[in-house]
Amino acid sequence: MLLAESTALGSSIGAVATLALFVTIGLVFLFVNLLVGRFVRPHNPDAHPEKGDIYECGEPTIGSSFVQFDLRFYVVALLFIIFDVEVAFFFPWATVFGKSEQLSEMAQVEQAVKGNELSADAKRLYREMGVRDTSVGAVSDLTNEDVYTSSKMLARITLIDIGVFFAVLILGFAYVWKRGDLDWVKAVTEQRRLARLPADE
Amino acid sequence: MIGSLVSTGASTVTEFISQNIFGLDDPNWFMYLLCGVIAAVLVLHVIAVGALFFIWAERKIAGRIQDRLGPTRVGGKFGWLQTLADGVKLIAKEDFIPRDADAPLFKIAPYIAFAASFAAFLALPFADGAVAHHVNTAVFFVLAVLGLEVFGVILAGYASGSKWSLFGAMREAAQVVSYEVPLGMCVVIPVFVAGTMNLTTIGEMQAGWFNNWLVFHDPFTFIAAIVYFTCATASVNRAPFDLAEAESELVAGFHTEYSGLRWSFFFMAEYGSMFLVSALASILFFGGWHPPIPIDIWILEAFADPDLVAAGPLKDAVPSLVTFLVMLIGIATLVAKSVIGVVVMMWVRWTFPRLRIDQVMATCLKYCVPIAAVCFVGSMTWETLDLPSMNTINRYEIHEDWSEDLAVSTVGEDGVDPEWPEDENDDESSEVMDGEEAPIEEDSVAVQNGLSLQEGE
Repeated sequence: MLLAESTALGSSIGAVATLALFVTIGLVFLFVNLLVGRFVRPHNPDAHPEKGDIYECGEPTIGSSFVQFDLRFYVVALLFIIFDVEVAFFFPWATVFGKSEQLSEMAQVEQAVKGNELSADAKRLYREMGVRDTSVGAVSDLTNEDVYTSSKMLARITLIDIGVFFAVLILGFAYVWKRGDLDWVKAVTEQRRLARLPADE
Repeated sequence: MIGSLVSTGASTVTEFISQNIFGLDDPNWFMYLLCGVIAAVLVLHVIAVGALFFIWAERKIAGRIQDRLGPTRVGGKFGWLQTLADGVKLIAKEDFIPRDADAPLFKIAPYIAFAASFAAFLALPFADGAVAHHVNTAVFFVLAVLGLEVFGVILAGYASGSKWSLFGAMREAAQVVSYEVPLGMCVVIPVFVAGTMNLTTIGEMQAGWFNNWLVFHDPFTFIAAIVYFTCATASVNRAPFDLAEAESELVAGFHTEYSGLRWSFFFMAEYGSMFLVSALASILFFGGWHPPIPIDIWILEAFADPDLVAAGPLKDAVPSLVTFLVMLIGIATLVAKSVIGVVVMMWVRWTFPRLRIDQVMATCLKYCVPIAAVCFVGSMTWETLDLPSMNTINRYEIHEDWSEDLAVSTVGEDGVDPEWPEDENDDESSEVMDGEEAPIEEDSVAVQNGLSLQEGE
């Protein structure tokens, strides 16, 4: 099997190949549409010299359109980079936290251990969390209680992890808010205030 | 209990087609290509036909909200062929590029916007099994690829050489990137409740009656669903957040200089994205392809072979035609829910006045982000403290499809698992990282494994 779906490598190759296929088909779709249109639509760009002008509400255009834009856009972009990267880190954490919570729920209703073995559902959950060997081995008296304690502890440890991580993020957010970087009109008010100060004194 | 009845061993469209139409158990590369093309063309129809329908619907809804009739003539009743007539007109329009525009970039921009919107559909499951490609990190994939659409808009604004276009593009960039933050925070809430990033699994975890939907998991997920929808509206650039094309200030924003078919591609991309974020909302919060009343499960139960029910998931105990029927019901349900989402976006657009740019940014950074953060912490606490929930489904019984073959322990005497995804230099790496991996290798108790892994970090 060329693209073995059950392996991580096969799956990611498949995903990239499908992505490439989708992008190609999307591009071809647009291209074919434009190509068909080519045979039916008029093409007369030089009908009038003013036709090629940039539209500025009917007036002759003034200057280049490549104007300087406000610094505020850069501040927003910087904020975005910090926050979005941090949010991206939440996702792998979320799967571990969710799965350990599910494991503890399972142990609570005594479904995690059957006999002296983990139940099939519990084994699959451990597999999905990345534990390779789900056989119990030498332990002879595995109980649901054990699974509950350990999975709940894992959930709490991940909770503390993300708590610290999130606290740092929120602290930064609070600082940025206090500094006024979240105010869109800050630049203007600040300038006015500074401009007014010497005159007041 | 419903959880045990539903399978998540979903087959991809590829496998479905190759098994049921071509009778191949082990599809070769050509089959993958063929089925990939079929899947892509099907999804393309969702966008293209969807755009035809939604544009007509938007004009009808806008008309009704403003006490008019909207289109009435083309195609007989209700003017339902209006969009097609518009499409014919657009094809016949001159494809004009202004003198000052950067022609190559100007031409590329709609391609990028459309391709990004279209490619994001590849990981979106329309029902259990009805997905172009199973991606284990589908939530992440969809958000990431959909975010690329903004490049097309920025490029269009920059390449047009017009001030209006540039202003529109800059606003769009600032707005879309800002709203990604609360959007991501809201999306992570269903992800940690479900414990997976696989959209198929998240959808299957909401089977049964509507009280199993994640929006009803706790009060915080309910609020998060609302915040998600607000941010999704903003991130697909719809009113009241459509600052990039604010026609009262910026003429038409980033597409001021576009005309004809090239112009219409931006709208196809926009309607595609609207559908996509609505579908994502349905899967993450509103039960995905499961109707509010569990008709799909009743059908499965009615046709299930009683001998096979005990052995495994309900879907394996029914004839494949019934599974297919249930899949069609699922697709219809998801599409219906998504259409409701899109219609709500239209309703919002024609009801609320447009916000100012500073109000847009304040809504995002000063309202949506803190509310999303509170919901995140609240929902996390709710989950940890095992507080009561309206969800009655046993989520631990529903698994990601990739672990199906690994459910039975296949670890041999030597502790090497033959079916585990092969790492090529597995032996060397385990030797190199001996210190870290030692507890895992030596201690064979799985429960302690999970712990020692985490505590070690």
